[in-house]
Amino acid sequence: MIVAEEVHKRYHTPHGPGKWILKGVTLTIPPLLNVGLVGRNGSGKSTLLRLIGGIDMPTRGRIERHCRVSWPMGFGGGLQSALTGRQNAIFVCRIHGHEKDLADRLAYIKDFAELGDAFDEPVNTYSSGMKSRLQFGLSLAFDFDVYISDEITATGDSAFKKKAAAAFKKLSDHAGLIMVSHGEGTLKEFCTAGIWLHEGKAHWFDRIDDALKAYKESFSS
Amino acid sequence: MRSSASIAWAVWRALFLREAVARVSAGRAAWVWILLEPIVHLLFLNVLFGFILQRVVSGIPGGLFITTGLLGYFMALNAATRGQDAIEANVGLLTYRQVLPVDTVLVRAVLEAILLVISGLFLFTGLYIFGFQVIPNDALLVIVAFVALWCVGIGLGLVLSVISKLIPEAKKVTKMLFRPLYVLSGIMFPVSAVPPAYQEWVMLNPLAHGIEIIRAGFFPQHQYHAVSSASLGYVLIFAMVTMCLGLALHVRFAPRLVAQ
Repeated sequence: MIVAEEVHKRYHTPHGPGKWILKGVTLTIPPLLNVGLVGRNGSGKSTLLRLIGGIDMPTRGRIERHCRVSWPMGFGGGLQSALTGRQNAIFVCRIHGHEKDLADRLAYIKDFAELGDAFDEPVNTYSSGMKSRLQFGLSLAFDFDVYISDEITATGDSAFKKKAAAAFKKLSDHAGLIMVSHGEGTLKEFCTAGIWLHEGKAHWFDRIDDALKAYKESFSS
Repeated sequence: MRSSASIAWAVWRALFLREAVARVSAGRAAWVWILLEPIVHLLFLNVLFGFILQRVVSGIPGGLFITTGLLGYFMALNAATRGQDAIEANVGLLTYRQVLPVDTVLVRAVLEAILLVISGLFLFTGLYIFGFQVIPNDALLVIVAFVALWCVGIGLGLVLSVISKLIPEAKKVTKMLFRPLYVLSGIMFPVSAVPPAYQEWVMLNPLAHGIEIIRAGFFPQHQYHAVSSASLGYVLIFAMVTMCLGLALHVRFAPRLVAQ
């Protein structure tokens, strides 16, 4: 379960504090639930994911994680571009305390990401699709209770999307998912509940369809 | 659940190996350059100052004089300058909440020290082959002084890493400030050769203290006369203060250090 209480967030800019991105987000995300996060560009979706993932801290308010939460996958974060895919994978295994079964995890990641020989090439030679496959494989190699995905499936080809969907289905009985996507189809396929971020507030919907409807109506009005 | 200590240890280990791999595989035969750089530096200085020094520091070979100074200087400076850039260089890895900005600075300092010890051993072996007397007079004092200088480097690295992240222009300023340090730390001259009126000013610099102590430990007392104001305590206190300040800054500005 993840609890957010009155979470406010703003970033520091070179010209002093920026504008408030989140203005009092209060949420409870129950375990084992797949949640889609919708909202306009710049509405704070990635910011909220970073806060939930524990990378960044709220300016005010607090977030409690009563479970193991993955890092947000997406946008090339978590990869050191000068190192090879394998070296990055080894690094992530090490910091998660999997020194002993390193070989198994590496085999899994290599197999899932389907990078072939590129696994031993520096990450800065990867296409964005290859990067997201690697990131995806990396986070699936560990047992989390909640996986956070920031547009990770957007850059993959259809074969990869199918694989990702199958992987998430397999996880859904023992892990939840929080994802940001601009693809309506993706959200409907993966998520049951939805959060609509609008003007710094979060609105919870038990059904993703309702969240998408509210999101769309905000455009037309 | 893993304990905080075991997580920190796993992160340091992983970061260290990642930094080491990046350092020794950056470009072609990068490790050759890591070793060669101080050697070339030393040869250059020797050619420049070898003759002058023989007159100033009687009885002490110029090569050893400069090597001890240079190693002391780099011990502090490498940890400081590499530490300063550590957060930026690892920004991608801060995606994992186990990895804290402070980890990247500390791990870099350890790696720099190990690399410098390796190239130092190469240098002294080389000097030994050329017939220099490379066994220190008081090895313990030399080691302690090196460690103290390294701690100064860590302290500076911790402070500067935060400052340069919060104020991007700060890096230009520190670069300008580090340059005269090279001359003012007494790599090429003993502090006792400085006119007494200016010694006080030179001895504000903890690097000058550390290097004086290294030489006082390295050379027999009748050969090298360290200035009486040289104090190991000064170096250690400077290191303590900057380390505490740096750690405090890291805690205080933690949210802003991870922001991209």
